[in-house]
Amino acid sequence: MENAKIKASQMFVLVVLFEMGSSILVGLGGSARQDAWISILLGLAGGILVFFIYYRLFKYYPELPLTSYLQKITGKWIGRILALFYVVYFMYVATRVLRDFGELLTTTIYTATPLVVINSLMILTIIYGIHKGFEVIARIGELYFAIIYFMAISGMILVTGSGLIHFENIRPMLENGMKPVLRTFLKETLVFPFGEMIVFTMLLPYLNNPKKVKIACIGGMGLAGINIAITAIVNVAVLGPDLFVRSNFPLLTTIGKIQLANFIERLDVFFMLYLVIGGFFKITIFYYAAVIGAADLFKLKSHQKLNFPIGFVILLASLMIASNFAEHIEEGLNVVTIYLSWPFQIIIPLFLLVIAFFRNRKKQPKQQSNQQHNQQSSQS
Amino acid sequence: MSIWSTMLKNKQKKRKNDNVRQHNDPQKPEEQPIQRNYEDNVSRIKGELGNSTDLLFREYQIGDHKGTIVYVDGLANGQLINDFFNETLLNSGFNGNQDPFQFLIEKAAGLGNFQFATEWNQVFDSFLSGNTLFFLDGYNQAINVETKGWDKRSISEPSTQLSIGGPKDSFTETIRTNTALIRRRIKSPNLWLESMKLGTVAQTDIAIMYIKGIANEKIIGEVKERLNQINIDAVMAEGYIEQLFEDQTWTPFPTTHHSERPDVIASHLLEGRIAILVDGTPFVITVPAIFAQFFQAPDDYYARFDISTSLRILRILAFLIALMGPALYIAATTFHQEMIPTTLAIAIASQRENVPFPAFIEALIMEVTFEILREAGLRLPRAVGQAVSIVGALVIGQAAVQAGIVSPIMVIVVSITAIANFSTPTFMMAIAARLIRFAMMALATFLGLYGIVLGLMFMSIHLCALRSFGIPYMMPIAPFNAQNQQDIFIRYPIWAMKYRPKFISKGNLVRAGDNQKPMPPKQEDSQDSKGES
Amino acid sequence: MMRKTMMIFLLIGLFMPILSACWNQKELTDLAFVMAMGIDKGENRRFQVSFQIVIPGNVASGQGGGGGGHGLPIAVYTSSGDTITEAARRATQKISRRLYYAHTNLIAVSEEVAKDGLLDILDALDRDPEFRTTTEIVVARKTSAEKLVSALANLDKLPVNKVTKEIESTEALLGENMRVNIDEFINGLISHGREPITNGYKISGNQNMSGKSDDLKNTRSEAVLSSSGLAIFRNGKLEGWIDREKARGVVWIMDKVKSTSINIDWNGKKNAITMAPIRSKTKVAVNIKQGKPVVNVAIEFEGWISEANTTVDLTDPKVIEKIDKSVANEIEKQIQSTITEVQKKKSDIFGFGERIHRKNPKLWKKIKGNWNERFAELEVNVKVDSFTRREGIRTKPFWYDINQ
Repeated sequence: MENAKIKASQMFVLVVLFEMGSSILVGLGGSARQDAWISILLGLAGGILVFFIYYRLFKYYPELPLTSYLQKITGKWIGRILALFYVVYFMYVATRVLRDFGELLTTTIYTATPLVVINSLMILTIIYGIHKGFEVIARIGELYFAIIYFMAISGMILVTGSGLIHFENIRPMLENGMKPVLRTFLKETLVFPFGEMIVFTMLLPYLNNPKKVKIACIGGMGLAGINIAITAIVNVAVLGPDLFVRSNFPLLTTIGKIQLANFIERLDVFFMLYLVIGGFFKITIFYYAAVIGAADLFKLKSHQKLNFPIGFVILLASLMIASNFAEHIEEGLNVVTIYLSWPFQIIIPLFLLVIAFFRNRKKQPKQQSNQQHNQQSSQS
Repeated sequence: MSIWSTMLKNKQKKRKNDNVRQHNDPQKPEEQPIQRNYEDNVSRIKGELGNSTDLLFREYQIGDHKGTIVYVDGLANGQLINDFFNETLLNSGFNGNQDPFQFLIEKAAGLGNFQFATEWNQVFDSFLSGNTLFFLDGYNQAINVETKGWDKRSISEPSTQLSIGGPKDSFTETIRTNTALIRRRIKSPNLWLESMKLGTVAQTDIAIMYIKGIANEKIIGEVKERLNQINIDAVMAEGYIEQLFEDQTWTPFPTTHHSERPDVIASHLLEGRIAILVDGTPFVITVPAIFAQFFQAPDDYYARFDISTSLRILRILAFLIALMGPALYIAATTFHQEMIPTTLAIAIASQRENVPFPAFIEALIMEVTFEILREAGLRLPRAVGQAVSIVGALVIGQAAVQAGIVSPIMVIVVSITAIANFSTPTFMMAIAARLIRFAMMALATFLGLYGIVLGLMFMSIHLCALRSFGIPYMMPIAPFNAQNQQDIFIRYPIWAMKYRPKFISKGNLVRAGDNQKPMPPKQEDSQDSKGES
Repeated sequence: MMRKTMMIFLLIGLFMPILSACWNQKELTDLAFVMAMGIDKGENRRFQVSFQIVIPGNVASGQGGGGGGHGLPIAVYTSSGDTITEAARRATQKISRRLYYAHTNLIAVSEEVAKDGLLDILDALDRDPEFRTTTEIVVARKTSAEKLVSALANLDKLPVNKVTKEIESTEALLGENMRVNIDEFINGLISHGREPITNGYKISGNQNMSGKSDDLKNTRSEAVLSSSGLAIFRNGKLEGWIDREKARGVVWIMDKVKSTSINIDWNGKKNAITMAPIRSKTKVAVNIKQGKPVVNVAIEFEGWISEANTTVDLTDPKVIEKIDKSVANEIEKQIQSTITEVQKKKSDIFGFGERIHRKNPKLWKKIKGNWNERFAELEVNVKVDSFTRREGIRTKPFWYDINQ
């Protein structure tokens, strides 16, 4: 753990940027067609429920990151193995996001540029950010939060001003019943992006006021969820459900349609601006969690030593995890969600919570004194 | 809290590295008392200064005690000493009843403030800073009278930081004048001033000024600490100190602020900053500095808030243009041609048809040419400077286009960038933008807009990680602080700027009373009755 | 260690601009801006594609670079291939620069190709990130797409602007064309409840003069590009044409009318009064009657009297009311005739099917299979409300004074 403290507002901003990160770019909930927004909002609700698991765990161990309290809850050896799995999982997700990000750039604008160049420059920037520490990352978050909102609002005005929004595209609602929506909810929107809040279990101890965890994280998730849902609605309203499903990156197509006053058109590059910012935060947070998790696991004094090697591994892995984009997406939709996201985001934390609950009930008196001690130390 | 902990850590690290005793310490290692024999004294002075010819000795006699005054020609007020010597000392009318030294003291008191000097170090310090020393044979004390009076520049208009409204005076090279200029603006007993000397050889006067109760004690301590650690032969100007005590050296951005305008410094002091005055330079440093501060021009506070807010946003826009203008041009013309509206794209393409260089080289040629012209313009005597600018305008404006080396649009881009660069109120910040511009151009050539965005990302990480005396450089923006947004992007009306910036000042935060918004009584009668009132 | 690695990366970064020469960087002067593409049936291979390429030096005015606009603004290159991509690659044998499609505004397709179906063409345009989604698509009527693409225009330096701007202005002022871009076309193509339409374009006059610079020397060009009707597609194939007033009916129903003119008879005089719309709003509603869909088209129309070539008292509200009624009747008539015409062609270009889909997804599932057949028998009611808002800057026309 780094010796850093951030404010609740910074945590909120990080949650928003993290959740919106790459989920706004890909057509989230596309398999629910025009009902994507419903499954996104369902995902948000489910995600908040899941977050309460993490929150209870945090309440039991307010000063420790996930990798540490894993060892306390399940015992030293199982805990260590699980913690190692989590570190690897965080690295893998960071890798996936990096790959997503690189693929987007190479398919749209940088068609002739090698993926390795694009990815390595991104990871270099992130290494620099992590080198500067978590407080700095939180500060950049605040800086770019404003920029993203400015872009989102102006984008909204431009899309509306070009007369592209046809709300009739959103109907008929629930054409094929709840089934496809629920399937999308379980397979996609619950675990991506809302279940990914698991990574924040590594970062919650950095908050200077533990009482505000709930409001910062759930508020951030709520805002991000609403934003993602609005984006989905706009995408469907502009493109129609068919094109929405057919596009790799619907938002890019939507922005490409903006045509105002015969002068403001082809704003695709501004999409890229968003992409770099969103991708940066998403990768950074996973990557950072992996770094401090590994440092915690191997009892290193400073996580900085791991910064560069882990970054390098993520970079290499991002080039190797799939041979083409289709494979990458296939893995993401059918393998990762079921075999990685569900266990790591929901099942294991649930088990942990149950064990932690019984353990802490047994040691009630001791725990109380511990808590008092913790409170004192946090006050001082 | 964490701000302080990191700062303290840095401090400890520095302390470990630097254990050298400072020369400006009050207790000097070699303490040597003055001799009773004045002949010995005189020869010692002459010996130590190698018979320097600007050192003047004038001898006199009181009773049967011989004596001499010593002063440095040019530093001390020669006229005053002459008059005093001729009228008071030579026609002393000493009647022999008194103690001659006591008599001398009475006389010397007429010349100016005096002290006694008993040690050689004091002696050298005082006459080298313009004082006059009275030696009398048989006494192991000298009278040290303040007679500073060298030729100095009078207060003139600021030459680098111009403004439309507000005061027109600026600092001079004399530290005393400068402290007076500040004191004249803040007539408060809480405006404290501490002096020290820096430079093992040059012994330059340094003054630290702050308002007690408004400035943050911790930062004051930190400033003194860092100044004390400076161990260098001479401090010629404010830049020496800035470079020696800033938080981060590897950055193009200035983390200390300096100004030659007393009104700027006074307002900084009122916000809780600490001013460092250096003798011999008309620029005064203030710390801590934040990023947004470098876009605040003095005019902002003399015009109404709506005007100054729009001007400030304009300045930020200009800064961004100065940073990225040519880079965006390169990115748009070599990577993102689809971004440009069709007609413009065709126009640019037709202009570039005969240009032999790729866009990056073209931009580089123009930028470098312009920077050379600008640098040359700074150095050249005023008369020649005019000629250079004409030649430059012809070369980069007209001839280069006609010769087909660059395209007209490139000239436009470079000129807009250059002009935008001049609109940053602080030179040090403008120069940072100039430097980064070239990096941005390279990135744009390499990867177009993606490169530029990454560059900006890198820059913002760097900016967010910077600190100035423990204060995060991007302070009220990131970390965001709603209460302190009064003077960042939007300059609130003066009556609404109720508080001092919390992150700089400690304790006394309220700067204005409640209900400061002007509320003139409602004019109920119409225009007709106006004449009667 | 950190610092060292950083330095290494910095060094690599510094060399990158030199190494990156062959990636995505492309100088403006290495690009051939394709402004329009014409697709014809090829002789040996399947498609013959014509590229209208702009010559920047001849278009842009001013002293920069190229020596003023003396030559022709465009050049047309033709190549053939079995797919569009192949044709485009073969074109590079003839063109010194890289073909660049980001500024392509127009795709012209010949009637023959359209009749064979556009399905094999559109994916290439849809998939390539370089293409604008807002590129318009037109069918070359009674001429080849190549000729259409090579035609020059007097008023506009870039002929492609003539076409796109013309569609825009006829949509706005006449109401017989409407802008259709590739995305909309494809959306119509894949939707079960709608069929795509697009504009027709022809060269009127002497077709052989098209593309010759001599033609520009005449004040009356011999070969003139002009819009001509709407092309109706079914299952991706050109089904037929709709012209003039009937085309206007289509635009009415699609709620795209900005302005047009409607003539009505008055006191036995034919076309005595002309009305121009100020605002018009079309609402299409679907009702289900006895398990059968019924479409109601309601148009609310506000206009001003732009011509009155007879003695008519425009100050009398009753007269205005009467005019309103006959205008409404006239529009209704036009639209009804349009609908019967389109129903004959069995192609639901209005998207009535989509509306039924939205209104009643279950019913839609049943009738989706043979929708176009059902469309031909669909009951469509048209109701027009017309309101005259003003009558220009004169009250009674001067005909009163003449007849007195």
